[in-house]
Amino acid sequence: MSRRIAIVEDEPAIRANYADALRRHGYEVAAYASRPEAMAAFRTRLPDLAVIDVGLGDEPDGGFTLCRELRAMSETLPIVFLSARDSDFDIVAGLRIGADDYLAKDASLHQLTARIAALFRRVDLLAAPPSSEDVIHRGELELDVKRMTARWRGATLPLTLTEFWMVHALARHPGHVKDRDALMRDANIVVDDATITSHVKRIRRKFEALDPAFDRIATVYGMGYRWLAEDGS
Amino acid sequence: MARPPFRLGIREKLLLVLTVFLAIPWLGYAYVQEVERVLREAQQRTLAGTAQAVATALHDRPALFARPLGSDGTGAGEAAGAAEIEAILLGLSRTTARIFVVDRQANVIARVGTLQRPEPAENPSPQGAARVAAWFERNVVHPLYALLLAQPTEDFSDDFLGRPLPFAKEVDRALAGILTVDRRTSRDGRVGIVAAAHPVWAGDSVEGAVVVEETTNAVLAQRNRAFERLFTLVLALTLAGATALTVFASRLSSRIRRLRDEVEQAIDAKGRVRRIAAGSTAGDEIGDLSRSFTSVLSRLAESVSHREALASRLSHELRTPIAVVRSSLDNLQGDAVSAGAHVYVERAQGGLDRLAQILTRMSEATRLEQSIGEAEFERLDLAELVRGCVEGYRSAYAPRKFVVVAPAEAIAMRGAPDLLAQMLDKLVANAVEFGVPARPIEVRVERAGGVARVSVANEGPPLPAALADRLFESMTSVRDEAHRGGATPHLGLGLYIVRLVAEAHGGSAHAENRVGTSGVVVVVALPVA
Repeated sequence: MSRRIAIVEDEPAIRANYADALRRHGYEVAAYASRPEAMAAFRTRLPDLAVIDVGLGDEPDGGFTLCRELRAMSETLPIVFLSARDSDFDIVAGLRIGADDYLAKDASLHQLTARIAALFRRVDLLAAPPSSEDVIHRGELELDVKRMTARWRGATLPLTLTEFWMVHALARHPGHVKDRDALMRDANIVVDDATITSHVKRIRRKFEALDPAFDRIATVYGMGYRWLAEDGS
Repeated sequence: MARPPFRLGIREKLLLVLTVFLAIPWLGYAYVQEVERVLREAQQRTLAGTAQAVATALHDRPALFARPLGSDGTGAGEAAGAAEIEAILLGLSRTTARIFVVDRQANVIARVGTLQRPEPAENPSPQGAARVAAWFERNVVHPLYALLLAQPTEDFSDDFLGRPLPFAKEVDRALAGILTVDRRTSRDGRVGIVAAAHPVWAGDSVEGAVVVEETTNAVLAQRNRAFERLFTLVLALTLAGATALTVFASRLSSRIRRLRDEVEQAIDAKGRVRRIAAGSTAGDEIGDLSRSFTSVLSRLAESVSHREALASRLSHELRTPIAVVRSSLDNLQGDAVSAGAHVYVERAQGGLDRLAQILTRMSEATRLEQSIGEAEFERLDLAELVRGCVEGYRSAYAPRKFVVVAPAEAIAMRGAPDLLAQMLDKLVANAVEFGVPARPIEVRVERAGGVARVSVANEGPPLPAALADRLFESMTSVRDEAHRGGATPHLGLGLYIVRLVAEAHGGSAHAENRVGTSGVVVVVALPVA
């Protein structure tokens, strides 16, 4: 049975393009132009994944409302935000109300499909028991590459997909400096430097919520970031 | 703007205008002169009248002038009528006049009166404030006027014994039958004397003459008093006027100064415009000025914020059509397109990437403003941060050469390292773009007192003078056509971002031309903690 993806997007051309692309990847696609239309459909049947535009017609934050309603219906349904807005405020607001990831609208379809595939993989594997060969250990950090989950000192880190990919890119080779372009490549996003900075800042904050003394992600000014190994190198 | 080297404030100018009033005392002086002339003429007429009256009383009485022949036959003895003449004279005499009667040989046969005026009776001594005023008048005003005006004096002598008579000329003319009025000075030259001589007729022949003399002291005293009053009044008015004008001008200039200060500070460091309070409720021209400043500034603020908002709004509005194009191209690539068509899809995507990059830059400043608001300041070592960043630039901009001058010891300050690094990125990107490729870019950080100075210098063309003040504003670019349209888009936000970061740290940024070599150095001053 193929996966069913809901696209809620008020711009017909984008909606049709995304739907075509996702169908080509073998997904079943249901496209909606407005929040009420989408909600009506979701009440009958929940999709397996939702791609939601933040601004919907005359509702500038309609996507956020829809996300909240959808999250109330399902705890695990992966939700990806699309937005023409790229301010940190929007990203934070979207993620806080339960979205799994966030993508600027001018991202390529490749970036979107990579995310969707990864999110489905995560959903599939969350149910299966973890197998040790998929887990990378970096000191107190455990990265489950298949499920795309991270644990610090045994506690689960609530990372979004983009954030997980960034942590993975950094921690895979401790001590190596990853510049911003490399991080973007590894995280399947194309954003500007300031957005990378704020992503890293958010990742640090999530670590700090578990461990106030966390200091493993070091900024190398003018170059990028690196993961500090246990010995401090 | 350059200020003139020599400045006169409103107050000084008004006081200069006030010097026009100094012409008033001169007018007063001319007026008093006129008064004096009138008074003199009146005095002369009075004297002439007196002389005529006396002469009339003596008319046709030759017996009075008859002289008993003396032993020498020259008639040197007392005229027979002398006593009677004196009696008549006493009856007609005035207190301040001296009257002579002479016979045909110009011998004085009678004289009455004195030129000296009696001392004026002392006024009853004034009380209270009047006493102070009187004292002031006597000891300050009078000595002052004594310098300006001839003062009448009763201390003179005009005694004469024998000939020539001081009024010989008048007597001669009177004896010839002509009424004569003339002036002379006293023997000692201290006072002026007016003399009127009138012939005494007996029938058709002149028997003698009457001479009436008076000093000009009475006229002088009146003239002086008139002048003093006028002058005191003018002085008081001028002083009062000057004081009032000075107060007015001070108030005016202080209001204008307050307005000026407020206007100068009306645009704060972040380019936001404050309302002008000074004079905003006043009904006069300064109030109008204040209000029109406020409206001009608010229009300016609108246009500034519009310009800044435009960038981020444009970027937002354009993202949707870009997404349409990009997703269409992606779909096209997904379909099996011919190899020829593939090239065009690639090119279209290249152009789209550039377009997206432009949009990102356009909203960069807005996003930076947001992240400045959320920035967390921490203690950091500026010298190390600069050294680290330059390491990064060496690889990022290879083979460009960088020279870093940083002290070995730490430059500790509070700041947001990400923002500072971003600021340095912009400074270096600017220097790389405008610098001569073969010459190194010099990044210098140093501490001077409570200020850390970060400077990035390149060799290349100097700053265009026209833009010097505006370089750090949003969307100001000095790029000429040759620099435009390169691979990376430019919107003139780089130095604006530098300014935003510097100001977020309580510092400032400025650009100047290098001394010695052609080139530009941008200096950021940051307070150290």
